[in-house]
Amino acid sequence: MWTFIIRRLLQSIIVILGVTAISFVALQIGGDPTYLYVSERATAEEIQQTRVALGFDRPLYEQYFTFVGHLVQGDFGTSLSYKRPALEAVLEALPATIELTLFAMIFAIVLAIPLGVFAALYRGSALDGSIMTMGMLGQSIPSFWLGIMMIMFFGLYLRWLPISGHVPFLVPLLQGHVVEAFSQLPMALYYLVMPGVAVGFYSLSRNARLVRSSMLEVLGQDFVRTARSKGIPEAAVVIHHALRNAWLPVVTMVGLEFGFLLGGVVVVEMIFSWPGIGRLVFNAINQRDIPVVQACVIMLSVIFISLNLLVDLIYVRIDPRVKL
Amino acid sequence: MGKNGLFIAGLAALMASASIASAAPPDDTLVLGISADATTFDPAAISSRDNSNIAKHIFGTLYEVSATGEIVPQMAESYKEAPDGLSYTYKLKPGLTCEDGEAFTAEDAAYSFNRAADPANKFTGNTPGFVYSSIAFKGAEAVSDLEVKVKLGQKNPVSFGLIAEVFMHCKNSYEKMSLQDAATKPVASGPYRLVSWDRGSKIVLEKRQEPATFKTIVWRVIPEASTRTAELMAGNVDIITNVAPDQVETINKSGVAEVKSVAGTRRIYVGFNLRDDFAKTPAGAAIQKTDVRKALQYAIDVPAICKQLLNFECTRATGLVNPPNANPALKPYPYDPDQAEKLLDAAGYPRGADGTRFTIKMQAPRGRYLNDANVALAIGQYLSDVGVKTDVELLEWSSVYVPLISKHDAGPLFLLGSGGATWSALYDMTDLSTPTAGTNYTSWSNPAWFDGWAKIAAAGSAADQRKIIDQMLDVFYNDPPWLMLYFQPDFYGVSKRVAFAPRRDEKVYLFDAKLNK
Repeated sequence: MWTFIIRRLLQSIIVILGVTAISFVALQIGGDPTYLYVSERATAEEIQQTRVALGFDRPLYEQYFTFVGHLVQGDFGTSLSYKRPALEAVLEALPATIELTLFAMIFAIVLAIPLGVFAALYRGSALDGSIMTMGMLGQSIPSFWLGIMMIMFFGLYLRWLPISGHVPFLVPLLQGHVVEAFSQLPMALYYLVMPGVAVGFYSLSRNARLVRSSMLEVLGQDFVRTARSKGIPEAAVVIHHALRNAWLPVVTMVGLEFGFLLGGVVVVEMIFSWPGIGRLVFNAINQRDIPVVQACVIMLSVIFISLNLLVDLIYVRIDPRVKL
Repeated sequence: MGKNGLFIAGLAALMASASIASAAPPDDTLVLGISADATTFDPAAISSRDNSNIAKHIFGTLYEVSATGEIVPQMAESYKEAPDGLSYTYKLKPGLTCEDGEAFTAEDAAYSFNRAADPANKFTGNTPGFVYSSIAFKGAEAVSDLEVKVKLGQKNPVSFGLIAEVFMHCKNSYEKMSLQDAATKPVASGPYRLVSWDRGSKIVLEKRQEPATFKTIVWRVIPEASTRTAELMAGNVDIITNVAPDQVETINKSGVAEVKSVAGTRRIYVGFNLRDDFAKTPAGAAIQKTDVRKALQYAIDVPAICKQLLNFECTRATGLVNPPNANPALKPYPYDPDQAEKLLDAAGYPRGADGTRFTIKMQAPRGRYLNDANVALAIGQYLSDVGVKTDVELLEWSSVYVPLISKHDAGPLFLLGSGGATWSALYDMTDLSTPTAGTNYTSWSNPAWFDGWAKIAAAGSAADQRKIIDQMLDVFYNDPPWLMLYFQPDFYGVSKRVAFAPRRDEKVYLFDAKLNK
């Protein structure tokens, strides 16, 4: 087990280095970023002075190695637009994104399992058809469009839900203000509903289809028939025998889901004015704020890689056939 | 709890949530929806207009530009310009105070100027980066308790207006602050103080002193235009900035808010790049001729572009100076394609067998200015209609277009916007201060224009100066380096709950905003 973990961690370092190199080059080939930091009225001398001051006059490889050298020391550089440490800006935005992603993931899983199970149990029925139609729509509707439609309907027309904004829960919790955090939880959830559904609807649809097909495969197997023939109640057959075995591909998907959702929040955070990492990276890319983009990308990569590792370990736990 | 009880509880929860979802701000609170968050509250580091708009409520200035373009006293009550034009001495109003409780004196004012210039602080904001380089700032000193002298390296007719941009702050507090604290915990010298700043979400200001109508101003950061519109229509915000033109009708029909549009001070134009290396190409050679450049003015229906693409009724610009400082004798070039064709024929560019006179490339940014890509495509079509086949090339702004423009490599035709002002014709004209100025993107070099600057410096009176300005603008009109278009409109969504009049210069100042009865 430990050998596996250490091997995976070493692989992760190589992956992260690759991520830094690709994102660094991708941002640099867009052109000389100096022009983003000088006034439209700047003279050639002022432009050159700024270029030197920001280090953009040095060869690309030198800029990259300097960056990696600082990275090893935990220094992601200073944000060119916010004029403060890039990592600080990213860490400040991360809790809001984690709140949104967790909400979306819980929404997607909690609803997907019963929907998938019922669709499989009543295969070919109107219920199955409705759930699968929803699944198809959910995978076809872009999250930004769904978000705007929800704003129009639930926010503007019915006025049930807030159109935009954010009430923090994780930040006060992490700062040790437990009472404050939990007193804000109902409002935090209230503000999470629309963006969370917009982010999670695609995953809900995909997961529901996945659970359905997985259940259908398991329900037709001999051990399920045997369980039924022993007189075990149908609910117990479905939950304890069928669902437990149908669960494995879902766990794999759920592990990747968090990373997928983290990447998918960018547009939704913009629409709902959610002050998270997605909006931060969107603005940073527009302004070519290289330190912030790097810090965001690396942070997301680390989260994604860690989750993959976690999923592999959980897999061993829930499926004894899998050995590391 | 029976079924009925559950139903009532559910209904109550729903109604409660609905009331929270669409809670109108209290009467003493004004809520704005803006597109971008502040990045700093250090007065010397502020560089964007959005940031400056918020900061202006926290920090006073010695003088300020009024909505109508006059430079009027704010923290100062009067000033004297030295006879050589190399210094200004301001007399402060008595009784000014800082948020920290200290009196605001000339020491504080001098400190405000000098702190922004201190190289140790490495500030790159608007004050050190633009104002000081424009006025060749040499330092400031307190002459008495209420008098501060600002010294310049060279005489500049727009210095006074530029100094009015410098935010005043309080020496006692700022001397003790780290740069990090100065960026996040401003100590006010103006009418409001910062109560809270939830980065990315909202900024809350509270009234400290007059002039201020509302006790609280909340600036909510809502980057997406359609979301800002929805918040306005739901009654959750009172004013929104940067309304998308396609949402104007929706807001106006809502009955709860309306869009107030105003021609901004940003001048949108198509530049003719007259650089020698462009002149070696057929199209570049064609636009070297004044007659060709004049002919092309007649080919564009600017009011139609404004109406159809910007949802705005505009008057075409007559030059590079914003009204009301433009030369009143000049009339906008009319849309007259026949006249354009005649002038092009006369200039030696008749239509060829395929109907083309010559082919030219026009470069334009995509997403920098209001509907810029479509405006560029429309102009390309108008020019093609008179036989000047125009290939429009749309480019990404920050990494591709800005370097091209900065190196004067864009063109031969290029679409650009340039910030202007309402308070001085000269401010707008400084884009073309010398033939080699960084902002003379067309490399235009008409001596009749550039010789005018020396005459302005030597002018004995404001009236004499105005005459020279008008002569220069006449030169610009008749030997145009720009294909003159329009002043970019700004759209503000304003709830019927409040009275707010937008300004032309993109400054969102809320000192006069009030509740409608």
